[in-house]
Amino acid sequence: MMRALGSIWLFFWRDFIIARTYRTVFVLEAIEALFGAAMFYYVARFVDTPELQHALPQGGSYFAFSLVGFVFLDYLNAALDSFDRSLEEARDSGTLEHLLVTQTSLPVFVAGSAIYPFAATTLRIAVYLAWAALLFGFPVFAANWLAVFAVLVVALLAFSGLGVLSASYLLLFKRGNPAKWFFLGISSVAGGMLFPVSILPDWLQLVARLNPVTYALEALRAALLGGASVAAVWRPLAILLLFAAVILPISMAAFAWALKRTKINGTLSHN
Amino acid sequence: MAEPAITVESLKKSFPPARSGWRTFFQPFEKPTAVALAGVSLGVREGEAVALLGTNGAGKSTLLRILATLLVPTSGRARVAGHDTVHESSEVRRRLGYHAGTDHGFYPRLTAWQNLLFFGRLNQLSRSAASQRIATLAGQFQLSEALDRQVRTLSSGTVQRLSLARALLHQPSVLLLDEPTRSLDAIAAAEFRRFLKAEILRKGNTSLLFASHTLPEVEQLADRVAVIDAGRLLACDAPSTLKLSAGASSLEEAFLRLTGREAGAPQNGPAQDNLARKEIEE
Repeated sequence: MMRALGSIWLFFWRDFIIARTYRTVFVLEAIEALFGAAMFYYVARFVDTPELQHALPQGGSYFAFSLVGFVFLDYLNAALDSFDRSLEEARDSGTLEHLLVTQTSLPVFVAGSAIYPFAATTLRIAVYLAWAALLFGFPVFAANWLAVFAVLVVALLAFSGLGVLSASYLLLFKRGNPAKWFFLGISSVAGGMLFPVSILPDWLQLVARLNPVTYALEALRAALLGGASVAAVWRPLAILLLFAAVILPISMAAFAWALKRTKINGTLSHN
Repeated sequence: MAEPAITVESLKKSFPPARSGWRTFFQPFEKPTAVALAGVSLGVREGEAVALLGTNGAGKSTLLRILATLLVPTSGRARVAGHDTVHESSEVRRRLGYHAGTDHGFYPRLTAWQNLLFFGRLNQLSRSAASQRIATLAGQFQLSEALDRQVRTLSSGTVQRLSLARALLHQPSVLLLDEPTRSLDAIAAAEFRRFLKAEILRKGNTSLLFASHTLPEVEQLADRVAVIDAGRLLACDAPSTLKLSAGASSLEEAFLRLTGREAGAPQNGPAQDNLARKEIEE
């Protein structure tokens, strides 16, 4: 276990050192976060009404509601994208084969590929929320940070399975991310990112109820905007954990199978 | 009796045809038709150096990649230190040092030292052991000056030496080298061969299987030479025995005779290709 964690840390160290060589990107992303927060603030000012605020789950401003939806989208994107982007980079730089002849197990290789992108996304979200709190009155002190942390970890676990499935697809077919396309597409409509699912027609509400993103967002908003404790968000957490328990073993098996197919076909290093 | 370092038994490898467009979706499930290895059997003893000699596309790299667990054979078996390359791949990788001839596979924005440390640690070396080993190998491969530089700023010859150093970092018992001196200048290549002979092969129990097109290198390093053509092993013997049995005065002449490529002889490569392809299709 310690050996596996040590190896995952090594991947983090590698990606951190590489990211450090692009220092200006940090600055540009911080500025981008400022513009993003400002955009949501002014959109909210334009559309906010007492009726709308009443219709929102936590009863707060549309600014806070939509910003949480947006930062969660960033997280979801990282979970769906990091594995295949990392795999693609390794394949194109020629490091993939050299990684695969080291004594690194497949789960460590997969987890290590995404550890830095997840950490970088967390930092980016923190910057977003900091701008929003400092300049636009985002209610950051209302949050239960332990519950927020728990929701994000469980959500990452749950959605990482889809990211690993996507990486398996990339191994086999070399291009494309259908899991991201399908899941983000559905979630943008029936996930409650920018509007509550209660405004959707019945059949789309049913789709939303089958979509784990809906539960993740409900729990995140409850913890971040409503100060809900871990105990108070146990139900969506349990649903996400159940989803993770199903999807993670399936995705790892799919990845191992896809890797074996590429070793049979000799296409491991092909792009 | 001790287990041979490498055992290859009736190894066959075929690849499915490359596809484009919508047919790409079926490529992973296509029937393999392009033969790379057509039943190769070979053994490498502990401490022995065996060279794979063959033309481009003969199957040398395919054989090395199967042994490195990067390819799964179509049939037959390959074992490294007694471990099956398919079913016990992690045990195989523990004992293996691999250098691919074509791409060097480093992170261009990490320094040479950072790259070596990363791969060394992934091979279960502690930080201090890896650092010590990097320092030793840097001295032996004239890499000391390059250690603090990003890999993207290094010459291809230096990156080649770095790649060879990476293969040796965790002191593997079996070394697989695919064209190890390909991008090296004459002096660096000679120094590398001297190092390999003196520091790796003579001192330890390291076994070496390497592919090369450089015949003097093969003669200098190899205890035996495996001549491969169109996926078939034509001969495997000491260089002097090969020359004797082929009635040749040089290894080059012996190679040309064995593969039927000497001046005036019919070129049988494609014919053998067709024969092997037919066997697979049957």
